[in-house]
Amino acid sequence: MNLKFSVNICILFTTMLVFGQENLYPVITIPSELSANSNAVIRLNEQSVIIDSESEMHVQGRKIITVLNKRGDRHVDAHVYYDPNIKIKDLKVSIYNASGILIDKIKENDFKDVSAVPGGTLYSDSRVKYYNYTPIKYPYTVEFNYEIVNKNTAFIRSFMPVKDYLVSVEKSSYRITYPEHINIKSKEKNFENFNLEKEVGDGEIYFEVKNIEAFKQEDYSPGFFDIAPMVLVRSTEFQLEGVQTKVENWNDFGKWMYHDLIKDTHDLSEATKIKMQELVKDEPDDLSKAKKIYEYVQNKSRYIGVQVGIGGWKPFNASEVDALGYGDCKGLTNYTLALLQAVGIKSNYTVVYARASQRSFEPDFASMQGNHVILNIPTEGEDVWLECTSQKLPFGFIGVFTDDRDVLVITPEGAQIKHTKKYTVEENFQTIKAQYEVQNDGGISAKVKVISKGIQYGDKYNLEVETKRELDKAYKNRWKYLNRMAIDNMHIENNKSTAEFIEDINFQAGGYAKKIGDRLLLTLNAVNRNTEIPDRYRNRKWPLKISRGFKDVDEVEIKLPAGYQIEAKPNNALIENKFGSYKVELEEKNENTLVYKREFIVNDGDFPKEDYSAFRNFYKKVAQLDNSKIALIKKKL
Amino acid sequence: MRITFNLLALLISITAFSQNYKFGKVSKEELQEVINPIDSSATASYLYKNRKTHFQYLPQNGFNVVTEVHERVKIYNQEGYEYATKQIALYKSRNNEEEVSGLKAYTYNLIDGKIIEDKMSKDAVFKTETSKYWDQLKFTLPNIKNGCIVEYRYKIFSPFITNIDEYVFQEDIPIKKLEAVFEAPEYFVYKKNVKGYLPVTPKTERLNDKFVYHGVSNNTGEAGTSSVKKERYTQEVTHLTNKTSYDLLNIPALKEEPYVSNIDNYRSGVKYELSYTHYPNSSVDYYSTTWEDVVKTIYESSSFGDELDKSGYYEKDIDALIGSISDPVKRAYLIFDFVKSRMKWNNYHSFYTNQGVKSAYKDHVGNVAEINLMLTSMLRYAGLRAYPVLVSTRSHGIPIFPTREGYNYVVSCIRFPEGDMLLDATNKYAVPNVLPTKALNWQGRMISEHGGSTLIDLYPKEKSKNTIFMMAKLKEDGSIEGACRTMKTTHKALEFRENYIGVNLDDYLERLENKYDGMEISDYAVKNDLDLSQPVRESYKFVKENQADIIGDKIYFSPMFFLRDTQNPFKLENREYPVDFAYPSVTSCKIIVSIPEGYKIESIPEAGAFMMPDDLGLFKYNILPQGNKVQLAVETHISESVITPVYYAALKTYFSQLVDKQGEQIVLSRI
Repeated sequence: MNLKFSVNICILFTTMLVFGQENLYPVITIPSELSANSNAVIRLNEQSVIIDSESEMHVQGRKIITVLNKRGDRHVDAHVYYDPNIKIKDLKVSIYNASGILIDKIKENDFKDVSAVPGGTLYSDSRVKYYNYTPIKYPYTVEFNYEIVNKNTAFIRSFMPVKDYLVSVEKSSYRITYPEHINIKSKEKNFENFNLEKEVGDGEIYFEVKNIEAFKQEDYSPGFFDIAPMVLVRSTEFQLEGVQTKVENWNDFGKWMYHDLIKDTHDLSEATKIKMQELVKDEPDDLSKAKKIYEYVQNKSRYIGVQVGIGGWKPFNASEVDALGYGDCKGLTNYTLALLQAVGIKSNYTVVYARASQRSFEPDFASMQGNHVILNIPTEGEDVWLECTSQKLPFGFIGVFTDDRDVLVITPEGAQIKHTKKYTVEENFQTIKAQYEVQNDGGISAKVKVISKGIQYGDKYNLEVETKRELDKAYKNRWKYLNRMAIDNMHIENNKSTAEFIEDINFQAGGYAKKIGDRLLLTLNAVNRNTEIPDRYRNRKWPLKISRGFKDVDEVEIKLPAGYQIEAKPNNALIENKFGSYKVELEEKNENTLVYKREFIVNDGDFPKEDYSAFRNFYKKVAQLDNSKIALIKKKL
Repeated sequence: MRITFNLLALLISITAFSQNYKFGKVSKEELQEVINPIDSSATASYLYKNRKTHFQYLPQNGFNVVTEVHERVKIYNQEGYEYATKQIALYKSRNNEEEVSGLKAYTYNLIDGKIIEDKMSKDAVFKTETSKYWDQLKFTLPNIKNGCIVEYRYKIFSPFITNIDEYVFQEDIPIKKLEAVFEAPEYFVYKKNVKGYLPVTPKTERLNDKFVYHGVSNNTGEAGTSSVKKERYTQEVTHLTNKTSYDLLNIPALKEEPYVSNIDNYRSGVKYELSYTHYPNSSVDYYSTTWEDVVKTIYESSSFGDELDKSGYYEKDIDALIGSISDPVKRAYLIFDFVKSRMKWNNYHSFYTNQGVKSAYKDHVGNVAEINLMLTSMLRYAGLRAYPVLVSTRSHGIPIFPTREGYNYVVSCIRFPEGDMLLDATNKYAVPNVLPTKALNWQGRMISEHGGSTLIDLYPKEKSKNTIFMMAKLKEDGSIEGACRTMKTTHKALEFRENYIGVNLDDYLERLENKYDGMEISDYAVKNDLDLSQPVRESYKFVKENQADIIGDKIYFSPMFFLRDTQNPFKLENREYPVDFAYPSVTSCKIIVSIPEGYKIESIPEAGAFMMPDDLGLFKYNILPQGNKVQLAVETHISESVITPVYYAALKTYFSQLVDKQGEQIVLSRI
């Protein structure tokens, strides 16, 4: 009782303090630079993390947000996740109108309470309580108060004042208090352009930022996590689902994960081990053995996510995956690891941030990070990385999901930060060999062969399983500028051993060359036009980032209609700059045959924001040149 | 019925060898099958799908509905693995809930010529609460491999006799054999509603049946005393049971197509809806059977009819609003605008009120029913002939047979001598006779004062117009600069206002610029964005590069520049379902292009026009050179909201011709 009383006083006290400074409810008090270009303004976001012990952590929060228009509604975000380890102590919302008058109060009972099973997961014991307010008028202000108690202390929330694009922040603060025997570490990131106030006291750290203008999302910019200011926080002593530990660095972290979560899950039966040894006995080396085993797992298993209690962090036992034929990323990776172990190949459980925009582990900050697990096989040359949840990917192919980033590789001896495979410009290679014939009426009939590798393979390999009808649609979308396209024949081949995707397509496109009186106007590039131009910004804010490069090489033989001759043709072109290069050449093979050669290279890399418009101009120029036409005129008889 | 007969004969000949459909009796032939012989693109097939729903009498709580399900699914490849996980939605109310029992599931694989079975363990079954009213039971089978078969059976006990889950006869994968049975004691009379494209003919029977009734007789003592002596007794009751059964073979998969408002409209199935209950020695209790009954039930609900009758809460405000106005049309506009500005829609669809109109009015927030019933009531109060109209939104599907669930939305209609006026006050930018697109779905059901009803067409008759005037100056380097003005009416204006009003202008303009590949826009202005009585007008100046090809000493360009359509939206070769444009429309462009100095027009496209059959669409292209200018007028009409698949080929050709014609080029040469 006494404790609760003191907590209440605390809250009352801070409330008064705020009122003393400024009234945050009326819209009129928002600084104008914060309302410009934003859909919502976080007036105040106070978070307080109180660590009572390794096994108890209170989180209290008070967030006042003014929503300026309908696109800002979703930033109110009045929700709290909970599960058997998290108890909600307090939850309420108050609504204020534009002049700051209280118009509604919502209590915990009026929150919606639903299961929070993420997509692709069969079951999880996580739940969420949330409240969605229906605004009568814009702008309006919402105050959201919450308090939870968590028995897990492995995840201490970060101080992340900016959580999304187009939301500005007036003031955001974060306080963590902790007992003497617990050590709290923090790491500040991306504060180059923002002023972070920091106070360190006895058993207490406090952070505060003020007046951050809204971020805007731009094409070809770094990922949100590489630009948003944040302070990561961890405790060196923590508890996860009842398991306590002490972690100073990644090595400790790796040891803990290996010994407490992974080690005793490799319980394969002797029969399975023998089966594996039988399976690979004729393979000449470790790599081909590993490939055999990977393919065995792909054929045997499928991805099913189940997260209950410690199961959210600890893989299923290998014997269980062996019996059921399914598991989540942890279970399937660990199973593959155990099978490889059975044939004497060492591999490592690896935690990663998976998504197309590469996010790396913090190399110097050992906290719970990542959202996915893959397998690492150390070799003398380049390490091999395996995505064990896919039944389709070729051995060693990870694609955009986990490529080119720092990940945590866990070994019995500890852990190490390693970098996953980066797909180079030369590896992301697509080549097109095509012939097309122009008829007298302007229609063309074409034969195209496309071979794709690297990330360009990753873009296409899913086509293999499409039905004919869907494939037909996919090609008409790829060549959307061919108005009357009719596909005669499609043949695709997924060569998994070389990770090459081969497409053979024959098609007709009626009215392709435009007839104008005695002339035919023919756009030379019929099979690989770059039509996307990056967006233009009146005022580019973020640096330019090209995450992945590629190289396209095309050679197209064009047969002209017999009754026509060339009147005018475009010049050959060559563009070279730091973003890549573009080369196009037209040769006259004989009287009515042309050969069109095109090479387009884009390099990956990071460039200052000033380079963006030059980069955009490069793409624009390529789009223009890809649209180059040749004029044919009827032969005079 | 001849068609059915022929079809059946054909189907039977395909399934030549006989199968054993008893649970667990999976055959080697089934396991050896590599593809579905009728649909080679199928990722999985139901080899057998059996459902039996019947009634069970329980001494404690009377009649319950029992649904027994048995399914055998063949999985051909990895894309079919999702069929190894089954989800069952279970309804619950405050005191009652549906429950699953007797769940058994096995996976069968053929390994080295032997059938290996794997039993699903209890650990693979999960129950989740998805909302206050729904739980979800999920289970997943072990050892799924290409070519395997999964088989499961379970029972659902349900106390909800008014709500029998729809029988689904068509899935996204083919079904080889389907058996379905519905049995109900004569006390419960259900209406059977069949939908979809499949020929479905049930067999009906009446069976003798019985149950043991557990009763308690009240042998009441003297009045007023507490000594009531209760006696339990049992009695065997005989009755008739109505049985309908379905036996279908080789049902094709239902395949998604673009521009279909809702694919479920075409999915075959049957829905049983309770018409009435008639227990022995009791009177008949009616539920719904005909549209009249459905409407009556809705109308008599306290969340509908009564809400319509309440007026006290707004009378003062409405009196003040329209007191001095006598013109009925003006009154209608005033009230409509009043409700739109006072009330904010909370994004909930329903034709029943939730909080009630009074409290919604007080809070300024309501669901669809609260807002539009309030509106109807106010209009009536003002002496207008206003009626609620039940609507099914596009995502909810077309109400094919009479059920309360057939509708999910309500709008208001005023009958004027000049014609009907449809109103929906949930959308701030809606105007009379312009319903939000989501509500444009075939017909609505207008409910009269006494609970009778008539159908009215919801699709607009008037074409929504988009008129564009453009002046463009072509430069020698192929770039253009100029000015553009547009004017949009009805639905096009509504869509424009929804996208434009209340968003950050810079953001909006950047999107607009990038829609045209980074065209530069300046002097952007919008008129009448908030004056809904006027078409919305937009004007801007633009600069855009690469709008012409310079080849040799000639310049080639399409005089519609960035306004032209460059792709045909209809890419599929065939389609089976109607194309739904939601409303008829006309786009007209008037363009004046001035050509660079030192050039003359060498050739221009010909004027032309073409149309779709039966006046469904019309395209006109007129072009006129005048000195160093070219004048162009292009009109595109789509005259119907919905175009049936019979016209699909014509529609595809129409769009293809349109794309070609709009792309035709002018050639300039040096003087």
